[in-house]
Formats: sequence, structure tokens, C-alpha cells
Amino acid sequence: MKRSTVPATLDSLDAVAEFVMAAATAAGLDKRASYRLRLAGDEIATNIIVHGYVEAGLQGALELRADIDDRTLTLSIEDTGVAFDPRQAPVPETDLPLEQRPIGGLGVYLAMRSVDEFLYERIGDRNRTIFKIHLSPASSEESGRA
Amino acid sequence: MAFNATLTIDSGIAKITMSGELDASMAPVLQREVENAEAQKPKRLVLLMSDLEYIASAGLRALVFAKQKMGPGVDIYVVGAQQQVMDTIQMTGFDRSVITLETYDAGIIDNI
Repeated sequence: MKRSTVPATLDSLDAVAEFVMAAATAAGLDKRASYRLRLAGDEIATNIIVHGYVEAGLQGALELRADIDDRTLTLSIEDTGVAFDPRQAPVPETDLPLEQRPIGGLGVYLAMRSVDEFLYERIGDRNRTIFKIHLSPASSEESGRA
Repeated sequence: MAFNATLTIDSGIAKITMSGELDASMAPVLQREVENAEAQKPKRLVLLMSDLEYIASAGLRALVFAKQKMGPGVDIYVVGAQQQVMDTIQMTGFDRSVITLETYDAGIIDNI
């Protein structure tokens, strides 16, 4: 189990990416799965920093945690910003041409589509967003042969 | 993390060459170059992405902004995007609103 705490500013996105990629490497994820986990972590961290803290005039931190077992890589991000359940966010209309798109709403959508399981818990004054990637022995064997 | 965006405009074709990792902290860099391009009223906007290693939704929003500012008459080309970057573009459906090319094809892009 690994933990890291970063301040809730956009400058922390580098550190979030490093933390997530280190977990992906430790779990033996391939390039595509690693990229998608990084995307999920980056988008949710961005959302928390921008909407949960900065726009609300709040300061705080993001607590990152990664757990790896035989079958699953679990990454969680906890914050004390504004309560927000990403699962309740409106789904963007990806069929619309760009001319008619609203500017926001894509980050959460990308995050949720990039991991195998996407969970959210509200614990007291904390948001906990959890991503799970299923580890497949077959895929690591394949990459070993490649 | 490093991200660079360089704008050149030639014969009405605006080209933005991107490299590095484009997350929300770097998106204003691209946004500024899109605004600079738009100010010149180009006929086409070409985004050269072969050296772009990562793109977040904040970077994609600059594309939405570009399309909405420049209007439907200005085609946007996405050239040389790496597989994972292209996956993200496709997940959002943006690939249906831009023209994607694996490599720079002067016969298509420069032929106004």
C-alpha cells in the first residue's frame, strides 16, 4: 500500500500522475491500461481541485492511496472539498458536433470510462473516489511474449 | 511535466505543433495559441500531435473552443496522434468533428 498527500492546486497534477504511473508499473499494467488509469486519476484530481476547492474558495489536499493485490489495482483519492459524486454528473452527448458542445463535462466521463470499476463514498466531510483495474494474468503473459 | 505548443501560419493555414503532456495545468498554453491562430482568421487549423504524449479533457476543450470560435467553415485537422491520445479523442466523439490523418498529407491539407 502506498500513500501520498498533495496540495489541492493544479501544480500537483504532475505529482498525481507520477503516483498513479508508479502504481500502474508496480501492478504490471500494460501501456494502454496505464495511460487510462493516469487519465482517470488526472481528470478526477483536476475536477476536485478546480470545482471542489478553487472555485469554492477552499484550500486543502488530496490524499492518494494505491493498493495492489493478485487481482486488482485499487486507487483512491480523498478530499475535503465540496461534496461531489462524479457518478451523478450528466453524461456528455458525444454525438453532438463540436459546434454545439458545452465546454465542460468531459473529464468525469473519460475517467469513468477508463477504469473497470468506479466507486464513490461520502464519509463525514470527505469525498472518496475509488478506481479499480482488474489485473489479468493472461495479459501480462501476452506482454511477456511480445 | 513539460508541454509546448508552437503556432505557425502560412498561406491561410494555421499549424500548432504540440509536444509533451497536456493536462489542465498546461491547457492555457494551447488555449493561447488557438486564440492567436483564430485572430489571424485562418482557413484551416492543423494540430500536429505526433510528439504529444498525453491529453486530458482540458486540452480537448481547446478544440471545442477552436471550432466554436472559428466556425464550421474552418476544418480542423488532427495529424499523427499517438494511439492512446487518439483513443481519448475517439471516446469523446471529437473524431467525428475533426479530420484525422496519420501523417501530414500536403495534398490534402495544403490544397485549399
